Amino acid sequence: MRKFVDLHLCASIDDIKQVERIVNLSAELGYRMVGIPLSPNVSQERIRQIEEICNRARVEFVTRVDLMPKTSNELLNSLGRLRRKFEIVSVACTSKNVARQAAKDRRVDLLSPCLTFPCKRFFDYAEAELASEKLGAFEIDMAHILSLTGFPRIRLLSSLRKEVAVARKFDIPITISSGASDENFVRSPQDYVALASLFDLPALCALQALSDYPLSIVERNKGKLSSCYVAPGVRVMEK
Amino acid sequence: MDAVWDAVLQLFGEYGASQTNLILMKHSLKPNYAILRCSHKALDMVKASLASITQTNGKPLALRVLGVSGTLKALQRQKPEIQF
Repeated sequence: MRKFVDLHLCASIDDIKQVERIVNLSAELGYRMVGIPLSPNVSQERIRQIEEICNRARVEFVTRVDLMPKTSNELLNSLGRLRRKFEIVSVACTSKNVARQAAKDRRVDLLSPCLTFPCKRFFDYAEAELASEKLGAFEIDMAHILSLTGFPRIRLLSSLRKEVAVARKFDIPITISSGASDENFVRSPQDYVALASLFDLPALCALQALSDYPLSIVERNKGKLSSCYVAPGVRVMEK
Repeated sequence: MDAVWDAVLQLFGEYGASQTNLILMKHSLKPNYAILRCSHKALDMVKASLASITQTNGKPLALRVLGVSGTLKALQRQKPEIQF
């Protein structure tokens, strides 16, 4: 049985009640692991509170940070400071330089395109080629598809169709996340599989994007963050 | 049902909507369940449309597919807790 993962539940961590509601709903819909974006200077107390909520709902909690750097230097600084603090690092590609730097940096897990502004989409062949040599995955937030209507949604689906085709051509893993900031935008994995058909992602690939790929990213990073990790392929087995 | 038709029309247009053969078979307000019938060829279209609904008449709304079946009898077997 597949273990479904939602790496981007955008609940406001200041409102613990809302976090609880959205985590409980995710558990009810069949997710077994959720990632909630935290601010870089989040307190350990708040992380423990969220972990407790997730444990009660029998969902695994993954810490995540969303970086929105304006320049590639800012991105490098943020990665140096935050990579070992969070299990998932996502970069919002708001400029071409940032997008290229994020694609060629092994420390970046998820490349999040700017879904609302079509002029700020930089996931093309060049970027895909860079990303294919590294570990980054292409993340799609489904909340944008649900919240937009009319022409903006047509434009979004058209861009996504092109980007998904490019990502598949270069064997870049695609991850599907809810990106939901409230319960109204959370859908079940099967619903996301149906919605993924709107941008020509086959059902099997959509299922992998909801379970296998995000799960492998989390497991890889958990391994790296453990005290036994030394370097890729080198681990301390016994002290 | 208007919300469902609006969603199908928005996502797939009139040509797509004509392929769904969508009909409301049964519904119950307490608890909130409905059985929709559609062409099996258009199942993905209908599921995507249902998932895309976020509001109706300005009120937030989310529809979830609980099960899919070829016949009503099999659906009753699949979801015995739902009484219509």
